[in-house]
Amino acid sequence: MNKSLSMLENHPHIWRAREQSQQEERFSLGFDQLDEALNGGISTSGVIRIRTLTGIGELSLFKHVISKQRTHKMIAFVNPPGDIQAPWLATFGIDVKQVLIVKPSTEKESLWATEQCLKSTACHCVILWSNGVNTKESRRLQVAATHNDALCLLFTRPNRNSMHNSAALQTLPISLDLCLNYRQHALEVSVLKQRHGWPKDSIAIHNDWTPNNRAIKWAVEHNKVKRHVLHSVS
Amino acid sequence: MLWAYLYFHQITLDTHEKASLSVGNNSRYDTKNEARHKRTGESANGQHQPGKTQTPAVIVYCEKTNHIVQRNNGALQQGIEIGHGLAQAGALCPQVCIIPFSEEDERLTLVQLAHRLYPFVSDIVIDTHNTLAIRLDNLVHYYGGHKELWSTITHELNLSKVSYHFATAWSIEAARILALNGVDNYECDRDNIKHRLSQCSLSLTALDKKTKEALTRVGIRHVHQLLAMPVHELGRRFDNNTISYLTALRGETFPHVTLFRPAEHFEHFTLLPFDVENTQHLTPFMEKLLGYLAHYLRARNLQTSTLCFQIDFREHPSTQLEIKSALPQSTVDSWLSLLTLRIENEVLPEPAVSITLRCDNFETIEGSNGDFFSNRFNEVAQKQLIGRLNAKLGEECTFQPKVSDTHQFETMSNAEISSSISASTFTSDIVPTFLFDTPKPLTQSTKVCFGPVRLHSEWWHETPRKRDYFIAQTLYGVRMLIFKDEDNQWWAQGLFS
Repeated sequence: MNKSLSMLENHPHIWRAREQSQQEERFSLGFDQLDEALNGGISTSGVIRIRTLTGIGELSLFKHVISKQRTHKMIAFVNPPGDIQAPWLATFGIDVKQVLIVKPSTEKESLWATEQCLKSTACHCVILWSNGVNTKESRRLQVAATHNDALCLLFTRPNRNSMHNSAALQTLPISLDLCLNYRQHALEVSVLKQRHGWPKDSIAIHNDWTPNNRAIKWAVEHNKVKRHVLHSVS
Repeated sequence: MLWAYLYFHQITLDTHEKASLSVGNNSRYDTKNEARHKRTGESANGQHQPGKTQTPAVIVYCEKTNHIVQRNNGALQQGIEIGHGLAQAGALCPQVCIIPFSEEDERLTLVQLAHRLYPFVSDIVIDTHNTLAIRLDNLVHYYGGHKELWSTITHELNLSKVSYHFATAWSIEAARILALNGVDNYECDRDNIKHRLSQCSLSLTALDKKTKEALTRVGIRHVHQLLAMPVHELGRRFDNNTISYLTALRGETFPHVTLFRPAEHFEHFTLLPFDVENTQHLTPFMEKLLGYLAHYLRARNLQTSTLCFQIDFREHPSTQLEIKSALPQSTVDSWLSLLTLRIENEVLPEPAVSITLRCDNFETIEGSNGDFFSNRFNEVAQKQLIGRLNAKLGEECTFQPKVSDTHQFETMSNAEISSSISASTFTSDIVPTFLFDTPKPLTQSTKVCFGPVRLHSEWWHETPRKRDYFIAQTLYGVRMLIFKDEDNQWWAQGLFS
């Protein structure tokens, strides 16, 4: 009994909250609140799962990590939900020559391609869209990513309408698990699970990832015609 | 023993063509090129005829002998032959470009070539300003065969873009005769070599003029006649030099030659293809030299903190440009940024004719500067990855985005390669992350947050389109690219992530 307890005590995979967070390098996301909740940012390698709808600024959230870090290596997009536009990549700050887009026909192939990209040491970030990653597969990706100092962003559908779906609910042996929602003009990030840290709910982020009409509105409001011009009709 | 003898019959011409190619097929250089070079003939005949796609005639002229010593295909088409005088060449082709022949420049180029070959072959002898000898028999063992060894050497020579004649024989002297004869055949069988050698004319041997004349007078015109003579007979009539040459030709003595040893410091010389007037036009040539330096440093695991460029002029004394860096560096990019800053304020006193890059102080890259490994950019890994993905998933599943020169969303980014693909990507903040294959009817209620942007397709298209694009947001916060067509129908076309 005593022996088994001490074995458990000394097991290297059990992390205790009282232990000081390790002095490992982290990538800041550029949002103060979120970085604070994540102990300074996301870890530099490993798998990050993001449950989100497509098109709510989920890639822009990771802009700093994708386009500013380790730029000498490639970025792979595996199974993207649409045709990725090259001018968008350029606007995002990515060198188009450093991008590889992979469109496999099956889920299995996309997992295989992701693992190959992670293991190749040519990519620093592999972005995968997949809905059916199970525990074993995510473990494989996590190991491949950490061993080769690469990052894997896994985008999945949110489980809002699929509470009964066990695959979507289960926790995975990965570095970080996030959930994104759009509520009241802001992006809400929930940290569901993170290594060496506590979960945190509803961190509101104000991030403008598309152009807006503010400049036009401002111009219209501040440049109202004060007096009648000579040729004015009304 | 087996020696290969390489005869670079037009090394000045090759370096000139390589240098003019390296700056690209840039027309602005071409026009300068023409304007700068010495022209012969009257200007009335010397007008350039547009529409002629021939290669421009280039010749190398030796002032000492008043002979054309090298000429390219363009000159050959005009009828210029080696051995012609300058006036004859000028009469045949008034627009001919003339490079002055310099033995010293050829020797420098040859030494650079020897540096390039040295990692592959150990015993190199620089014979004259345009000939090299390489000992092969001691290397065959390491390469596992004559064929492998020779293909390694020729591959390296082809990469350095020089044309040459070569031959192999049991001694340098014998190989020399064969190479000058233009044998161009790799031969390691003794009898075959002997057969070929015996057919060669005596004029190609390195015997002095007097000896040759004496031999011709008695009817000896070919090598086989000479080799058939008994040595003691010759010994009575000719001096020691002739005898030792003949024994060397037979391969009976061990050669006493100075083997080439690479210099301990880096030095690379480039003859500019045209006179460069300002420093901006000098930069591409300097970048090329930096490339050689980076290669040199990388192979030896070194880096450096000082470089020295020497710029030579026709009359003015040479300028030394020293560039120092606070941190020892090895890559082209890091040095190039410093170079452009340094060279900005420089004014050349007169057009430059050649540049030399010198580097004496090296530092080894130590384990402590770990960025050497973390920034290791592995092109091989990239190619391997793409190859592996293509092999399993098929070629059409893996691609790199290409940009075409248009603002139409549908054709902006395509995988197919067409002529309109521009080299640089443009940025535009209204381009969506993902584009649907075909527009879908807009069925959700949305709020417009940006727009309108009106795009007309080009008038020469069969179905001209006029669309007003907006960025709209749904209840769930999804931002889409939507548009209203001419019939006031709303469509969704893309997503912003």
